[in-house]
Amino acid sequence: MKGTLWLAWRQQRALVACAVVVVLAAAALAAYFRAGMLDDLRSGLFDHCDPGPLYCTRAPDGLPQFLDVEPLRLLGALNLVLPVLVGVFWGAPLLGRDRELGTHQMVLSQGVGRAQWFASRFALAALGTAVLSGALALLFRWWWEPAVNRSYGVFWYEATALTGSGPSLVAAALFGLAVGTLAGLLTRRVLSAAAWTLLVTGAVAVLVQWTHRARLLVPPHRYVSDGWQPKEPMGDKWSTGHYGLITGSGRRDSAAECPFPSGRELRECMTGHGYVSRYYEANPAGDYWAFQWADTALLGGLALVLLLVTVLLLRRRV
Amino acid sequence: MTGPDEPAALHATELGFRYRARGEWALRECGFTVPRGRITALVGRNGAGKSTLLHLAGGLLRPAHGEIRVLGAAPGGGAARSRVALLTQDKPLYPRFTVADTLRMGGRLNASWDQPVAERVVREGGIALSARVGELSPGRRTRVALALALGKRPELLLLDEPLADLDPVVRGEIMATLMAEAAEREVSIVLSSHVLPDLEQTCDWVVLLRAGRVELSEDADALREGHALLTGHVEEEPTLREHTVVHRRTHGRQLTALVRPRGPVGGTWHVERPGLEEILLGHLQDGTRGAKGAAA
Repeated sequence: MKGTLWLAWRQQRALVACAVVVVLAAAALAAYFRAGMLDDLRSGLFDHCDPGPLYCTRAPDGLPQFLDVEPLRLLGALNLVLPVLVGVFWGAPLLGRDRELGTHQMVLSQGVGRAQWFASRFALAALGTAVLSGALALLFRWWWEPAVNRSYGVFWYEATALTGSGPSLVAAALFGLAVGTLAGLLTRRVLSAAAWTLLVTGAVAVLVQWTHRARLLVPPHRYVSDGWQPKEPMGDKWSTGHYGLITGSGRRDSAAECPFPSGRELRECMTGHGYVSRYYEANPAGDYWAFQWADTALLGGLALVLLLVTVLLLRRRV
Repeated sequence: MTGPDEPAALHATELGFRYRARGEWALRECGFTVPRGRITALVGRNGAGKSTLLHLAGGLLRPAHGEIRVLGAAPGGGAARSRVALLTQDKPLYPRFTVADTLRMGGRLNASWDQPVAERVVREGGIALSARVGELSPGRRTRVALALALGKRPELLLLDEPLADLDPVVRGEIMATLMAEAAEREVSIVLSSHVLPDLEQTCDWVVLLRAGRVELSEDADALREGHALLTGHVEEEPTLREHTVVHRRTHGRQLTALVRPRGPVGGTWHVERPGLEEILLGHLQDGTRGAKGAAA
């Protein structure tokens, strides 16, 4: 095992060095900008802001007021594309380079077997990927912490936060690695393996975003308020955009039937049409973890399936 | 040296292999034995299955049918891996590694490793250990690949076209290195090559493949003694009926035939003892006799 690990390290050390540089740079930026955010909060500028989705405004001119969260969003964007980057630059050459050069034949003609050769290099790549993605996810979480779910900060349901932090990022990065590895085995060319990885990992990333928006894996909660009394505030919930009226028999209708926010008109309209309550659908902030675990299970499961396919094909293809 | 009970260097029974993509059999019904301690020439035309056979013996491919054993063990298994070295045709090496790195890799990936031997093979070619493999000429790359194979101290060395695309001087040098190491350690060598003259001097066993089947697997001297090159008048040809005519060629009324006599040859023939090259060439050309033989 030692020999193949040495070879894996010798071939992947440049990638490991790149990963270390990325994490260190992100950590330095996070420390700098997070300190700036904390200074802004300490200055008292945001003390009057209510929690909730409504913009916090400045007293003199009424303009919305924000913390400097753009750099944080940039880290989130990097984390969003991280699985693709890992797949293209780490996964695709993992077997693809050896297949392209034929060097696996030379290595396997030495005293090592296929299983050992593959296990060593994949283990090192998976460890590197897990540490890289885990570190970036934790950095995001730490940096985000003063601005979590604040009108002047970043809400949990923004893609950069929901996908760019937490354990699902590690699963997504490992999925990218598994796609690249299998593509390298199948295509025998680093470049075409990279192209396939870009396509597949990108498509799955888009699909995951779609499942979030469609609330496919984490169904929303229905918040019902009796009669025309004020609805429970949306706060930091993630609205589906579905809201409306419910009749005595339980039928749900569009809010457009009574398009009044409150007051006498609403009351008259609702009694006239026989509506007894109003509702809206949203995911509460606590669903952040439900989304995280759903994505982790989905992408981690897919990564395991791809790894299994790779191992099964290894004997026939290499 | 090699007792009768010692397992053969190579032993194949009913060996068959087909590439999925092409679908046709690359090797079929191959049965042969190569004894230990021999330097074996694996000969055949392009596509005859030489590389496939060596890849099977090296454990890089698995037979679709039958079996092949190397030194009595299954190829690719732990027992065979440490005792068999395979140098594939394109001699793949990591281009970004230095020569020293490449040899270090050999040391790390093999249970037994002879660094002095590997370094000597490299140094004999005037190659600096600090040179990058990707920047070496093809001849020097072959030498580094050979150093990797010899540093392993194999008991069986499988070489797939080791001399292709090398100039004659380098070819001679590499052959000399190979033979010196082989003699020193009694390594069995199986070597596929198109360069028949190179084989004449070095090989003492011949395996000849034709269209995926083994046609000959014999001692080289026995082959030389078992063949005769006959030259005579075309009308004498019926006297050859009882013998195996490997290859025949007519020039006007003169007939030249490579024959495996089964007993004394009748008729009036000028008889010559053919060289190994002529015998192999005769067997390789066999089957295209009609068209090419007449034209020649």
